[in-house]
Amino acid sequence: MHIPDGIVPPAIAIGGYAITGGMIWYSLRKINQFYNPSEEIPRASLLTAAFFVASLIHIPLPPASIHLVLNGLVGVVLGYFAFPAILIGLFFQAVMFQHGGLSTLGVNAAMMGIPAVLSYHLFQFHQWFPTPQRRPLIIFAFLAGAMALALSALIFTALVITTIPAEMNPQLERQGIYLGLVGYSIQAVIEGVFTMLLVSFLQRVKPELLDIKK
Amino acid sequence: MRCLWFLPVAIVFLPAVPVFAHSTVIEHRQTNAIEIRAMYDNGEPMTEAQVTVYAPDNPSDPWLKGITTEDGRFAFVPNPDMEGEWDVKVRKAGHGDFISVPVEGSQQAAQSGKNWQGGGYTTLQKILMAALGVWGFIGTALFFARNRFHQT
Repeated sequence: MHIPDGIVPPAIAIGGYAITGGMIWYSLRKINQFYNPSEEIPRASLLTAAFFVASLIHIPLPPASIHLVLNGLVGVVLGYFAFPAILIGLFFQAVMFQHGGLSTLGVNAAMMGIPAVLSYHLFQFHQWFPTPQRRPLIIFAFLAGAMALALSALIFTALVITTIPAEMNPQLERQGIYLGLVGYSIQAVIEGVFTMLLVSFLQRVKPELLDIKK
Repeated sequence: MRCLWFLPVAIVFLPAVPVFAHSTVIEHRQTNAIEIRAMYDNGEPMTEAQVTVYAPDNPSDPWLKGITTEDGRFAFVPNPDMEGEWDVKVRKAGHGDFISVPVEGSQQAAQSGKNWQGGGYTTLQKILMAALGVWGFIGTALFFARNRFHQT
């Protein structure tokens, strides 16, 4: 899922930084409207840690293996804190483990961060239903987790498929990308289930983390 | 009998004549080849990934193109007259990396030996780095939560 250095042309990398800059400005503006924004930082830090290590955990999915992204979960729990959290997590992933790259940090942040913020809004639809009902909460948690990953995968696919270098065999590369898309669709279900389980757990033990009235 | 003298002459010259049937000939010569091994960070080989090699004198036009084997390997023999950094780019399904391989004559290549150079971290190193990173995030969380602890 992470786009490494040298895969996309410089124009796309610069565009990614521009979008990320805009999203950071918008997210900080929203965060600033909180009564006490620093109160949310411990939660954001812990979720950033989870996002940071998630890429190191490989789940075997024959014939390949996948690693969790968890951008949907970060979005559901953190809301507008999700975008800065993902940017920081991606920065450390790129610097420490070469997952992604510094030139593509903006592209990767936009690719994973915007779906995370959208998943937060999708998850909020559960409030349309009466609060005692647990089923809408779980269903929207699954949808938010799965949608964030699926949307990120679609953005990734669109970016890499439209920027295949001329010296490469485009047919062979496209074949690999489409095959990867099948893997991402399965991963979307896994991330949806993971988000659903965690939201269900948080709702029972600490519902204030989800801004839910018990 | 008159034509028997021709037989030893023909036998002597026979190996020099190209043979088109039955036997095969495999020639070999020793060269200083560069072999790369491409794999994902979990150690899984990048099979059938596209490889593009760029010579030091022309980093924009590919010098050689190819595909990795099932175990993610690809070998090529660089032109020994072109000393410098040979860039090798490997890509598959939007994932990939590039590496610069220095070519500085036969003596340098012999010293490199069979050891793989480059590559990533070991599992233990990764665990340690991840633990340090996570501790940094936890430390940040504890720092900003200190007022909450004092209040309770």
